[in-house]
Amino acid sequence: MTLTPGRQEQLRLVAWLRWRLFVNGLRTRRGKADLASKIILGVALGVVVLGVGPLVGGGSWYAIHKPQPYVLPGELWAIFVVWLMLPIFVSGFGAESNPGSLLRFPLRYSAFAVLALAHGAFDPVGVAAIYWLFAMLVGIAIASPGAALWAIPALAAFALFNLLVNRVIFAWLSHWLAKRRTREVLGLIFLLVMFSFQLCGPLSQRYGKTAMPVVLRLVAFGRFFPPGMAASMITTGHAGGVSRAALYFGGLAVFCLLFSWALSIRLRAEYRGENVSEARVEKTAAPTAVRAGFSVAGLSPAVAALLEKDVKYLIRNTTMFFTLAVPFILVVVMSLNKGSEHGSGPAFMRSGSTVFPLSVGYVMLVLVGFAYNVFGYDGAGVSVLFAAPVRFRDVVVAKNLLHALMVSVEVMLIGVLDWVVVGPVRGPIVFLTLLAAAGFILVNLAVGDLTSLYFPRKLNFGQMRRQQTSGVSILVSLGTQAVLAGLAFGFYLISDVTGNLSWCGIGFLVFDVLALVLYRRVLAAIDGLALKRRDALVNELCR
Amino acid sequence: MNNLAIETEGLTRRFGELEAVRDVNLRVEAGQFFGFLGPNGAGKSTIIKMLTGLLEPTAGRIRILGLDLAAEPIAVKSQIGVVPEGLALFDRLTGPEYLNFAGRMYGLDRATAAERAQELLDFMSLADRPKTLIVDYSHGMKKKLAMAAAVIHSPKVLFLDEPFEGVDAIAAGALKAMLNRMIARGATIFLTSHVLEIVERLCSHVAIISRGDLVAQGSIDELRSGVAARQDGGQKASLEQIFLDIVGGERVAARELSWLE
Repeated sequence: MTLTPGRQEQLRLVAWLRWRLFVNGLRTRRGKADLASKIILGVALGVVVLGVGPLVGGGSWYAIHKPQPYVLPGELWAIFVVWLMLPIFVSGFGAESNPGSLLRFPLRYSAFAVLALAHGAFDPVGVAAIYWLFAMLVGIAIASPGAALWAIPALAAFALFNLLVNRVIFAWLSHWLAKRRTREVLGLIFLLVMFSFQLCGPLSQRYGKTAMPVVLRLVAFGRFFPPGMAASMITTGHAGGVSRAALYFGGLAVFCLLFSWALSIRLRAEYRGENVSEARVEKTAAPTAVRAGFSVAGLSPAVAALLEKDVKYLIRNTTMFFTLAVPFILVVVMSLNKGSEHGSGPAFMRSGSTVFPLSVGYVMLVLVGFAYNVFGYDGAGVSVLFAAPVRFRDVVVAKNLLHALMVSVEVMLIGVLDWVVVGPVRGPIVFLTLLAAAGFILVNLAVGDLTSLYFPRKLNFGQMRRQQTSGVSILVSLGTQAVLAGLAFGFYLISDVTGNLSWCGIGFLVFDVLALVLYRRVLAAIDGLALKRRDALVNELCR
Repeated sequence: MNNLAIETEGLTRRFGELEAVRDVNLRVEAGQFFGFLGPNGAGKSTIIKMLTGLLEPTAGRIRILGLDLAAEPIAVKSQIGVVPEGLALFDRLTGPEYLNFAGRMYGLDRATAAERAQELLDFMSLADRPKTLIVDYSHGMKKKLAMAAAVIHSPKVLFLDEPFEGVDAIAAGALKAMLNRMIARGATIFLTSHVLEIVERLCSHVAIISRGDLVAQGSIDELRSGVAARQDGGQKASLEQIFLDIVGGERVAARELSWLE
């Protein structure tokens, strides 16, 4: 007979487990490369987070020193939104790892709940938000030590509230995301939300003045919500309104209790062993004749079959398919500025000749991610590609062909859209843009084919987890885009200085030739590289 | 002139320090139903991956139907069919789409691929789910589909890694009948299975691998007579007894855990 270990021992064991998983993950070259890329990205983000601290602290100091009604609530609302939204952006829209996998062991409920909460507290965004709240406290304490006495409980309660909200959202999302179809629908909604942030700028420029009185009226209601409550508690407590400050603190406590209750519902259900996995729908239908597949002139049957397979994958991937629509929506929204009565929109939006190159660049940026992990959605099917009597070069060509087709169709449609909503594009600009785009596509395909072989990652449909893409691929992709953008800018500068657009054309023409040589070289080496990398590819994608 | 469907010489595969497969010399004659056995981690899947071009050998040579796999991979692959470990399906296609795709990857023209896909769907009782994505198939349905895709081009050699695992008795019966018909038509089948009764019933020849070494190969009767000679037994040994005798499993089975009540 064995004794169930206590909560602390269980937590210690789980911490050890996580640590071993992390250390063992570093045994592979890929694990080390991923860690290195995370450190690089982490340092870059860390600089931003640290830099925001003094700004937030200074704002809080200013709010107390020269009483400003909107600064403290503004800062707390901003932290609330960041704490709420960024983890979703960073960890993406996928069922996150949860302590549910540990339930086969005699894990105590208290340990289970602590693990669920700790997951949110040690989230990088959570750590950043707590640091900003601390910076606010320092700013308030410098302005008035008396106000800091109110700020400590207010900000602590606010932090607890945020932690609970974050956990409640993830717990319920994980519950919904356990079902494939729901996951796909929510993935689409997630993309729409992400996209809607891009609309904030143009819409506020166009409707900002009209909407401002309404926004200010809404701000007054903010004090009935936790960010406003925490800010009001500090300012009213500092001004001597003890009973009102206590009331705001009570309000914060009620919110915390409410979200604790919502979280406990989910955690208890998970602890009981709730299984929300999707049951298979037993739908039968009358057999139909199997239709013959694509026939594409100039392509071998195998390449045509591969192309057909990838087209079907594209159509059935809701999030990927939606991504194709994003550039069009953006052009339409950006064009809203063009006709504003005060002409306050950006100057480049008034001419099709400036909008077209920019929107083509945007199309390529949006789609480039697909080129850097081309086998991601194939999953275990990659074994079929190796087992079939087909050169791997043909497999890659089919995938590159689809990418080039996608970009070409998007560029063509966006050109038409630019012409309709903004205005005609000058012929030489169209020519130069297409010349640049051709080289950019070739370079991205060449580099993307290599990262797809060397840093493959299995991708799940309807999920957008950032961690699913190799950190190294992201860095390589960012670096490539930076070099290409620099090159384009360089050619533009030369043309601008000399006043002769043809320099730009010659530059891009030479660049295209070099890009073609690079692409052909990569393609020529693909069969050999694929053979060398097949173990790693199969192991990674068949997991 | 030899009539070997599968032949390996000094086949070796190392993963870093670990030598997973060591100097394996395998010989499978054309038309044989060949069972490949071994305990967990013995190297069965590693060998089947190497034989089908999914894994590069560290050393040694593989010849399939007289062709060198390393030198002529495309020619070899077009004559073999594979049901690999984990099935390896494109799960966002429907069953008909996947079979159609597989047929064309193996060089069938569009019409023939569609025709054979239809016939295989009927044969495997999968025709009533024309619009269901593979991701929504049950494990048994996926297995049948993987098997169908492996035979759509009428391969001369078929490699099956645990083909009956997770397949119900009715489907297993249909699959066995199909495999026997393929043997009758001259195909060679190379299968791995943990269910020794199935191997004993289907296969005429077996090979046993243990800790990366090929420790036995021949017809079941040859292996049986070897065991009988060692054990002086009058009874006809089952494949399970042969297997345990060769890999030394009885000693493990006899052990007990001191604390288990």
